[in-house]
Amino acid sequence: MRPQEKTISVGGIDVHAWVGGQGDPLLVLHGAGGNRGWTRWIEQVAERFTVWAPTHPGFGSSGDADWMEGIDDLARFHLWFIDAAGLGRPHVLGHSIGGWTAAEMAAMSPSSIDKLVLVAPVGLKPEAGEILDVFYYPPAQLLPMTVHDPKTIAEWDALFGHPPTPAELEIATRNREMTARLTWKPYMHNLRLARFLPRVTNPALIVWGREDRIVPVVCGEQYRRLLPNATLSVLDRCGHLPPLEQPDAFARLVLDFLAAPPRAAGGSARS
Amino acid sequence: MKLYYFSEMPHHEFPDEEGAKYPSLRLEFPNRFFDAARAHTNYQRYLDEYELADRVGFDGLMINEHHSTPSCVDVGANMTAAVLGRTTKRAKLLILGNILPIEDNPVRMAEQIAMADLISGGRVLSGFVRGVGVETWWSNSNPVHNRERFEECHDLILKCWTEPGPFRWEGRHYHFRHVNPWCLPLQKPHPPIWIPGTASPETAIWAGRRGYTYVPFLVPFDVARELFDYYREGAAEVGRTVTADDLGFLICAVTADTKAKALEAGRHFVWRMGPTLRGPVEFFAPVGMRSRAGSQFALRARPRSLGSMSYDELVDAHFIIAGTPDELIDRFAHVQRELGIGHLLLEAQESRMDHPTTMRSIELMGAKVIPALAAL
Repeated sequence: MRPQEKTISVGGIDVHAWVGGQGDPLLVLHGAGGNRGWTRWIEQVAERFTVWAPTHPGFGSSGDADWMEGIDDLARFHLWFIDAAGLGRPHVLGHSIGGWTAAEMAAMSPSSIDKLVLVAPVGLKPEAGEILDVFYYPPAQLLPMTVHDPKTIAEWDALFGHPPTPAELEIATRNREMTARLTWKPYMHNLRLARFLPRVTNPALIVWGREDRIVPVVCGEQYRRLLPNATLSVLDRCGHLPPLEQPDAFARLVLDFLAAPPRAAGGSARS
Repeated sequence: MKLYYFSEMPHHEFPDEEGAKYPSLRLEFPNRFFDAARAHTNYQRYLDEYELADRVGFDGLMINEHHSTPSCVDVGANMTAAVLGRTTKRAKLLILGNILPIEDNPVRMAEQIAMADLISGGRVLSGFVRGVGVETWWSNSNPVHNRERFEECHDLILKCWTEPGPFRWEGRHYHFRHVNPWCLPLQKPHPPIWIPGTASPETAIWAGRRGYTYVPFLVPFDVARELFDYYREGAAEVGRTVTADDLGFLICAVTADTKAKALEAGRHFVWRMGPTLRGPVEFFAPVGMRSRAGSQFALRARPRSLGSMSYDELVDAHFIIAGTPDELIDRFAHVQRELGIGHLLLEAQESRMDHPTTMRSIELMGAKVIPALAAL
């Protein structure tokens, strides 16, 4: 099933979005690398859910939002996007800074969303270790650090195997600038978020790669402890990009979680 | 043409092979190589050199500020201005400059510059800079806000100097409920403002619009002329005529009793062109710090990095001028003819250039070069 590209106007900002699939709505919030579109895991999840994958303001081909100061602004914006797009009470899945955004949205308005999937989210200060300073490294040096082993990734060549075109470079720069705008200080975390997460009783699935070199896996434990109804799944031989590194296993985890009746979620099972 | 003496107050007191082990001397080179005893001695000699430059007739003493780098341990330009304000008598004190975007308290900065102006009897030339990326990392200031903070910090400092307090400031980046500084500049309405430039057309236009003295640093002549054209564009917007007094240029220069000695001393400038500028582009221009126009201009402005140029090439391109006093007079006059500037800023000490060599160079410039160029 081919996705459609849509433009949704929210607060005067034209938001680009990929939309496709069938079933209940699932809002997918991308990470700092930008909206990678209809990748393999989304295709699988879209067989059971209608996937809405907007490009954050300031990223890709969405409009500017240089007035935003932090991820809390992006969270308020995407709560508005849910209304503007008429999604009702969607499931929300976010990766990395998109995961942080999803967590903030849930903390702000738990009743606006159904189930929550957080994939290697930043947002909490690690109890041990540090979140890698992604702005300190040249992009070409950073990219291989985001995954466990590029050679195992089926979509790697299609996404990164060619020299970027000028248009792609411009978008990559734009994505990095907006990420800096939203996450520079405090770097990639909000000390107050931990105070609000206990409010979020929504069923939540947290997914992490055991070899994540960007965000320490201990943050996954912290999220699991703070969210009252959360499960943590840690994937072996996987870095910071589980949806790309292990698309089939990742899609299966997401589908099982979203399709399960509400009471089945929760606990502290680990795979 | 007026001449200004400048030292970065380097701390080149470590084995070069140690520095070479790190991706950059800035940010990454561990400060366990900082030698406090040598730094104490060096500050004395650097200040002695500035004081001699004042006595021999330099029109100004340029002071700058950097952080987290051995290339410049003048970590407080206003502190140096205050010291020199007391120990020198005549020369202007060109602070070039205070790094506005990384400043969290523009009111305190306005007070400190005012205090230096008062101590020195109204000799401060107040330069404002956006800083290199290293200072953004050092201060953890968001690089995407660099230009906005530069302009808002500038606006608040100017308001402190020109409008009676108390007043409130509610901006985007700065918020002060009660501004009423009890320390105002001696010069009225305020000390002259100088702006350096290396690669930003926006900065040149902005400075031109406001009538600030504009000084490109160590760029090829054609790039400097292009930046001056942007400056004139800004000046034209407000109907202002640009004169030589609005324009300056910075190069490295040293003289000695013989050409051979001067050329030997000039080699010390190579360190600031190469090793001290080595490092990932992210250190010097973190994401979002430069506009697209600025980034594109920077690429054109530096077809070759200074670090990739040999000493001879740096001399040929006028980035370094090293020779007898007569040769300096010729080369400085050439720079003046090429650029039509009224101010020539001389980075005149670097790296391990020793105290006697530096003092002799200052003496010779005062005795021979400055008088010869005064009429230009």
